[in-house]
Amino acid sequence: MPVQRALLACVLCGLSCSLLSVFIVLLRMPLMGVAMSHAAFAGAVLGMLAGAHPTLAGFVSCLIVAGILGPFSDRARLTPENALGILFSFLMGTAFLGLGILTRTKAGVLSLMWGNLMSITGRDLVLLSAVTAVLALFIVLFFKEIRAVLFHRRFAASCGVPERLIYYGLLFMVGAVVALNLSTVGGLLIFALLMQPGATALQLTYNLKLFFIISTLSGTGACVSGLLVSFYFDLPSGASVVLMATAIFIVACIVSPKRRAVKQGKQYAQKSG
Amino acid sequence: MTDGTAVELENVSVRKSERVLLDRINLRISNNEFVGIIGPNGAGKTSLLNVIAGFEKFNGRLRLFGRPETWSRGRRTRMRLGYVPQLFDIDPAFPILAKEAVMTGACGRAGLLRSPGKPEQEKTLALMEMMRVSHLAHRPLGYLSGGELQKISLARAILQRPEVLLLDEPTANLDIAVQKEVLDLIGELYERESVTILFVTHDFNLLPDAMERAVLLNHGKIVFDGNVDDALSGSMLSRLFEYPLETFVRAGRRFVSFG
Repeated sequence: MPVQRALLACVLCGLSCSLLSVFIVLLRMPLMGVAMSHAAFAGAVLGMLAGAHPTLAGFVSCLIVAGILGPFSDRARLTPENALGILFSFLMGTAFLGLGILTRTKAGVLSLMWGNLMSITGRDLVLLSAVTAVLALFIVLFFKEIRAVLFHRRFAASCGVPERLIYYGLLFMVGAVVALNLSTVGGLLIFALLMQPGATALQLTYNLKLFFIISTLSGTGACVSGLLVSFYFDLPSGASVVLMATAIFIVACIVSPKRRAVKQGKQYAQKSG
Repeated sequence: MTDGTAVELENVSVRKSERVLLDRINLRISNNEFVGIIGPNGAGKTSLLNVIAGFEKFNGRLRLFGRPETWSRGRRTRMRLGYVPQLFDIDPAFPILAKEAVMTGACGRAGLLRSPGKPEQEKTLALMEMMRVSHLAHRPLGYLSGGELQKISLARAILQRPEVLLLDEPTANLDIAVQKEVLDLIGELYERESVTILFVTHDFNLLPDAMERAVLLNHGKIVFDGNVDDALSGSMLSRLFEYPLETFVRAGRRFVSFG
């Protein structure tokens, strides 16, 4: 059933993106989602030009960018945000250059921006499930190393944590998740789901395990509720999901116990410092 | 450790574009020495520490614990070097408690797929007790003041059980009372943990009492290597800073002032 498959794909997208959202928010790399979406988009366009499968080409492009980003920012002595900004501009230029050259199948490429939930196949679901499972396993197995890297990359490296392996591993995971979700939910929705759930969790907890759980619940909740709203009110699904995610974030900001605690903490620091 | 030498640099240079940050540095540091790396801003102090810590690429030869090392190095060597930077920024909302931040120091030694055990947890509490921050164990790290953050950072580095402790201006940006407290704690650590310490600073008036040797750096070169008292002479410091300075002694301590 296409609707059931769409719902399952949406849940898997919510799960995988909101897990990655924790890293993107805590590593302060908001450009990561948009850069990866454009990497997949550029890859898909170039793939079409070369006669290759667009999703596969997008996937390869994401992995290449993920592989380049870490060493590029390390070697060029750029902050990851600046490195992402440069890569993002390059990828956008490449994508639109390819789009200009492509004359026949633009519609197929443009669907990568918006996605098409109703066209999801059983094979897409298997791939999405596999990537989500690998990501969850990566987080569970390397939780203490991930915490050390998120806290301070240099501290982590200095105490013997394989910091580059963990960091580059995360970049590859972002590449894989974005590329696989691109043709289903579209690049714009992925960007929102890579930011909002982590930002929501940031309002609510100081416990990193709980942080992952809250992020996952808010991301998956936004996907399911957004899809249901779009189904019952005949609204565009991607926009509904993004708006639900934003609504959840606003509620989290309003009820945030951390905002009050941070104020008290600053007062405490001023007194004791 | 081999032949009692913890760190040995031979003709080590660091260049960024056209700028020379370190120029053919030769330096040998024995086990359990407390060495000050002192110099004005831009002298190359932090670059020198970064070369030893494995954060900076370099030309020349570096030997750690008797073994030749490159910029990229393995887990075992990294674990033997503790690192404490200047006061670092942390988002007040970042999800980590003070005790968890200290515990990250045990991550490398525990190895992949294994959590730090009960001994590490007990050692964490003991170190926080020693640093007089045990009452902050369950407080989010972003709540802490600059001095408290530096004590947490020191405890984290010590939990790693390093043989060499690299301190990069650990008292910078702290108020004078907290500077003194952190310096006393560093002295206490040196006595208790039998560790080699490299202490980078540009502030002569706040040198730990336990520091025996001073290496003065300027324009990426070593201009003096010897006893702290000899290093802190008016003529030496005036030459180093290219500014007239003089030293005086009060209550058994040497101080530096404008000449």
